[in-house]
Amino acid sequence: MTDLANNATGRRELTSFRIGDQEFCVDIMSVREIRGWTPATPLPHTPDFVRGVINLRGAVLPIIDLAARLGLGVTEPEARSVIIVCRINNQMVGLLVDAVSDILTVTDDLIQPTPDVGCDQVRTFVKGIMAIDGRMISLISLDRILPAAFDLEAA
Amino acid sequence: MSKTILTVDDSRTMRDMLAMALNDAGFNVVQAVDGEDGLAVLDAHSADVDVIITDINMPKLDGFGFIEGVRKDSRHRTTPILVLTTESDGSKKDRARQAGATGWIVKPFNPVKLIDAIRRVAA
Amino acid sequence: MDPLAAIRDTFFQECEEQLAELESGLLAIEEGDHDPERINAVFRAVHSIKGGAGAFGLEALVRFAHVFETALDEMRSGGLAPEDHVLKEMLRAADLLADHVAAARGGPEVDMARSTLLAAELAALTGAPLPGEDDGEDFDIPFEVVGFNGPDLGLPDLSDFGGGGLPDLPDLGGGDAPDINALLQLADDVDGGPNTFVIRMKPTRALYGHGNETALLLRELRRLGETRITMDAAILPALDALDPAEGYAAWTVELTTSEGEDAVREVFEFVDGHCELDIRPAGDGEPVAETAPEAPVLEAVMPQPVASEGDVDVAALIRQAQAAVQDLLGNEPAKAAQPGTAAPALVAAPGRPAAPATAVSAPAATIRVDLERVDRLIDLVGELVINQAVLAQRAAESGLARQTDVAMGLDDLEQLTREIQDSVMAIRAQPVKSVFQRMPRLVREVAAAVGKDVRLVTEGENTEVDKTVIEKLSDPITHMIRNAIDHGLESAEKRVAAGKSAEGQVKLAAFHRSGRIVIEVSDDGAGINRPRVRDIAASKGLIDAAAQLSDEEIDNLIFLPGFSTASAVSDISGRGVGMDVVKRSIIALGGRISINSTPGKGSVFTMSLPLTLAVLDGMVVSAGGQTLIAPLSTIIETLQPKASEVKPIGPAAWLMSIRDSFVPLIDVGLALGYRTEPVDPANCVALLVEEGATRAALLVDAIQGQRQVVIKSLEANYRHVVGIAAATILGDGRVALILDVDAIITRRTVDTVPASFAA
Repeated sequence: MTDLANNATGRRELTSFRIGDQEFCVDIMSVREIRGWTPATPLPHTPDFVRGVINLRGAVLPIIDLAARLGLGVTEPEARSVIIVCRINNQMVGLLVDAVSDILTVTDDLIQPTPDVGCDQVRTFVKGIMAIDGRMISLISLDRILPAAFDLEAA
Repeated sequence: MSKTILTVDDSRTMRDMLAMALNDAGFNVVQAVDGEDGLAVLDAHSADVDVIITDINMPKLDGFGFIEGVRKDSRHRTTPILVLTTESDGSKKDRARQAGATGWIVKPFNPVKLIDAIRRVAA
Repeated sequence: MDPLAAIRDTFFQECEEQLAELESGLLAIEEGDHDPERINAVFRAVHSIKGGAGAFGLEALVRFAHVFETALDEMRSGGLAPEDHVLKEMLRAADLLADHVAAARGGPEVDMARSTLLAAELAALTGAPLPGEDDGEDFDIPFEVVGFNGPDLGLPDLSDFGGGGLPDLPDLGGGDAPDINALLQLADDVDGGPNTFVIRMKPTRALYGHGNETALLLRELRRLGETRITMDAAILPALDALDPAEGYAAWTVELTTSEGEDAVREVFEFVDGHCELDIRPAGDGEPVAETAPEAPVLEAVMPQPVASEGDVDVAALIRQAQAAVQDLLGNEPAKAAQPGTAAPALVAAPGRPAAPATAVSAPAATIRVDLERVDRLIDLVGELVINQAVLAQRAAESGLARQTDVAMGLDDLEQLTREIQDSVMAIRAQPVKSVFQRMPRLVREVAAAVGKDVRLVTEGENTEVDKTVIEKLSDPITHMIRNAIDHGLESAEKRVAAGKSAEGQVKLAAFHRSGRIVIEVSDDGAGINRPRVRDIAASKGLIDAAAQLSDEEIDNLIFLPGFSTASAVSDISGRGVGMDVVKRSIIALGGRISINSTPGKGSVFTMSLPLTLAVLDGMVVSAGGQTLIAPLSTIIETLQPKASEVKPIGPAAWLMSIRDSFVPLIDVGLALGYRTEPVDPANCVALLVEEGATRAALLVDAIQGQRQVVIKSLEANYRHVVGIAAATILGDGRVALILDVDAIITRRTVDTVPASFAA
């Protein structure tokens, strides 16, 4: 996906959001829209972080519980929960989060490498962390958000 | 005042290419897909057709039959007819002329030569 | 888009059509149809491809096509008999021609060794010399790569020929005397060159009869250089004897040009034989007048006319004659000045083939439409169906009585929507021919690779199915045919020993049955070798070595993952795909596949698919608290299970007795993991379903109704989920999953440990 908003000087725009008391962000180029929560139809035999599918204007959109995916526990969605609709490779995926905070513009030098805390999920999904206004915001990589194929195949 | 050219060829590719070259040169183009169709179209647009360009190998009615048909039409006894022919088709040229063709264009055609040929047979 | 690129696309599209015509034509000739029109048609197919290819400079393609075309030309002129070995050669050539086209299109490179060999064989058939790499004479294909540059091409405007000041020439269609004054006014001061020619020409009647005109010829000469034109009018008869269609005048032209004699001769190229012609360099002696007697000649010198020294004022005579002729013709204005009333707007040929184009004169039984537009239409109609369902649901929920106008209006709307949907689906319905057409070549190649003689018979190629399904048929059919030839058919020796013909037969048939399309691939080979299949399955741990299996169950073992046997030829196994993959891809389409085999006689693979992947008639059920759709086509009946009919078997399985037979009972809610506790069957509804030869009873909480649903892909944004075929959007806007009945059933019959089928 070409980064139109980002130019050679390494500037990017990020959408930041909150899960529990942690803050995260994703590249805005991946974000297609923000929606309120609607109950999802569960899919059989899927990992707990795949909440199910919803109807997005006629297309079937899978919803990933980002908290669960990151190992923070399964979310109990509330009316004010938010779904961030992202484009990942050629698929549209909805991410369930608690609230969306901000659009941030950062330069690459603001992004620090993720310290190793001995946790798989952190290693896999957190591309980097930033300190902004006294807050710590983790930059999430979406590439591996969906379950890998072999996670699902039952024998 | 632009002239109208009837192109008769069973190949869509060839029809499109002729149309492109002729339109670029300012001609109007009417198309037919084989000899039989060509005679029908000529009948329908008789007053307008100034020059005819036709292929030889076509289903239903081939170029020779088509040209003979055209020459039998009193309105088109002397309308210029150019046949599309490949270089190795020596005898075809003669046969086309016998049928009544005015001249020929060699395939694959060069747009400049195409317009040249038209100029040589049309006022 | 660059217009030439669009025409190039058209060309390749046309090539596909021509290649298909070529193949089917050759096959028909091979079958015995020697109708000259048939042979002509295959010639034209190759001729067409060659023509277009030349324009785009596709050298290798043109070379091969030329040799092929020559051979076909021989055949159509009767010089080459359509014998069996000839036709086989030509079919191979057709395959190679297709390869050349594919390569020209940017595909894989052609096997040039094979191409050269085949070209030599074709040339040998006709005794024609083989075109060499640098053979420029016999094989002169002028590679005029067409360079269309649109308006920048600077093509001469028709009215501009010959330089400025060229007057409109009067129509000479009837051989009228030319307006010499007009010619005399010519003020062209074209630069002369070193060569001077004296040209003497006398057009005959035939010249005009072919649409040529003397004035145009003279105009062409004038373009070459400076001219002095004199007319020998002495042979003009008296006016009343003047036949407008006859040529009378003889012309002498002195031309000074920088061009050579070839250029001069070229001017007369078209009228060769229709005109007495003498061209010689000036000073070569007087040009001998062919027929005209010595006569006074009018000298016309540019730019000023000089009065003749002769006794007869021929110029005046001609002026009078012309005036008289004009009177005769009723003062018709010169045609060259076209009156503006002439041409109405005529359709210019499409320069953007991407847009829908209708040929003005083509028999308008069909139109060409952009596929994207049809797809968009289908999507919109799908949305319409959903919206109509939502509307109907809301109306029902709001307590609207059925007899009210609104309710009845909604019913009408539903009816209308269905009709629109059916019609729109029909637009996209295509005959399976396009897929079947690729198979003869496949059969030839596979047969050659395994060294067997195989004949392909096809049936029902006009059976129609939705475009979405057609594209997905190709792979499964290909694999089944490969399998039939490789494994199904025995070698020629074995066949003969068994009293069969040496040539094996594979039959590919398509037909409609109970609202689905059925594709059968059958062979007259040895049938499934059941003992062998059993052993292989056992050795691979797919079945318990001691298990008792029916013939049918053994046959179906080949569909198990991990079963595939190596092919006799590495070439095939390299691309080989196990039957399990075939089965999975068919099931993913909502289809079913089964096999029926008779030892010694052959096997039949039967594939059935929904007619469209866009809509489905389904039964809406709830299971485990979720709303699910079961395809109506799989349901035989619905039952209310009684406790006495449900029997446990083994450690954790259940059977239901239906009349006198027993079928496995599957708790759908449990199977899909929506529930972990089993439920009392007496509180449920059972759907008796059938997939292929397997039956089962699916236990669901309740039946909500039946409706047609629009199928939405789960794989588009997510991935395949076992047990789920697809999704749909219900009237309340929520997503409901469509059951993959086959997956649910087979999970239970193949595994020896049933229970839920979660990993």
